[in-house]
Amino acid sequence: MPVSVLDPTTEAVNLAATSAARLGSLQGTTIGLISNGKEGTQGFFTHLKRLLHDRYNVAEVVLRTKHNYSAPAEAAIIDEIQNWHAVVTGIGD
Amino acid sequence: MQLRSRSFELPTTSEAQEFYHSRGWTDGLPVVPPTSEAVIACLEWALVTADQLIGVEPVRECAISAEKLAINAVMAGCLPMHFPVVLAAWTAMLQPEFLLHGATASTGGCGIFIVLSGPVRKELGASGEINVLGGSDRATSVIGRAIRLGLINILNVSPGAIDRSTLGHPGKFSYCLAEDEEGTGWETLGEAQGMPDQASAVTVLAAGAPRQIMNEWTTVPEEILDTYAAEMRANMLNYSIWAGNYAIVIPKQHRDHLEAAGWSKADVANYIHDKARVKRAAWSDVGKSAVIRGKGEIQYSALSSPEDLLVIAAGGPAGGFGAIIPPWLGTKSRAVTVPIGACLDCEPPAIRP
Repeated sequence: MPVSVLDPTTEAVNLAATSAARLGSLQGTTIGLISNGKEGTQGFFTHLKRLLHDRYNVAEVVLRTKHNYSAPAEAAIIDEIQNWHAVVTGIGD
Repeated sequence: MQLRSRSFELPTTSEAQEFYHSRGWTDGLPVVPPTSEAVIACLEWALVTADQLIGVEPVRECAISAEKLAINAVMAGCLPMHFPVVLAAWTAMLQPEFLLHGATASTGGCGIFIVLSGPVRKELGASGEINVLGGSDRATSVIGRAIRLGLINILNVSPGAIDRSTLGHPGKFSYCLAEDEEGTGWETLGEAQGMPDQASAVTVLAAGAPRQIMNEWTTVPEEILDTYAAEMRANMLNYSIWAGNYAIVIPKQHRDHLEAAGWSKADVANYIHDKARVKRAAWSDVGKSAVIRGKGEIQYSALSSPEDLLVIAAGGPAGGFGAIIPPWLGTKSRAVTVPIGACLDCEPPAIRP
């Protein structure tokens, strides 16, 4: 017997968002790193910071750490992003 | 009532079943095909419109409508009378202090622990007695499952998508119980959390798996509770040392001894608050010496205050067993209690400071 059933998922279209323009080069840029603050991030971001300086001639690397690794970054960190050319955020355990 | 969700025409209910599984819209178990009639019946029972906004998940800014919750509730096996509880639970989960996105995405793999208090338990036929943590009745089973299916389908909390649990635990299928209010003289959990006397309420807690204890060899309240406190200390050392909303489930055999001695829920919480403490140095006993870091003499409490303990009267009448239910992320994710039913449209009360 035919049955008509409904979609249980979210169908609403999210607000349009586009990716930021890609940087042509990292030379002389300021790069922000947002860490979730877990133990495993320390070595990862320290290494990444060294790579950005040594291999890509980044001018400055700014490391910020979230207060709560399971919550979004604090507003102060988000506000700071406008001062950076690019930002790297990630998780580590 | 007009529904807005896409509909699909399928030749048979069996094919509908496979259709949902094939799209990852289930928890792996069979679902009830959500027809318009069944979904509308849930919405009408709860006196909500299909497009009523129940809340917005704040991190991903996803609006949660009554219609989508009703579809998932039907799939979980809910009858219309169960749906107001599902709405109340989601209202509680969407409070910022619950930290829903973190709780459902974390590698920590917690489940949404749900406790029903007040007259609604009897109206739904929920049992707070035998096998209370393992599927004691239809109502709690389907309400808990409705939460999980809603997370999977509305917020994409599927394993490997938003859900990044390293292990998870069986309670993620359904982790709901009712208190055994008829078997105790204690106040309900809802009342302890600030709800009016005899109001129906739902409490949600992002929680790890239950840890069962046994002590059948004493009737002394302090000795009974020492076993619960010891399990909390074990959790502090083996899982997380940080304070948070712990729940303890005290079945009737232990409860009778406590109540006969005149102990209230508050007395229980005060005693546990004093006893569930460890020093950081004890990490050396469980292979975590590396994180003592010269601070071994610092003492940590499982509870920031006695009020942080959720004391739950539930479980079968025989057996000197009990359980502690640990928080997922300490004080960074809080238990939330909201009323059910007549007050569904009320603003949720502010949680205790």
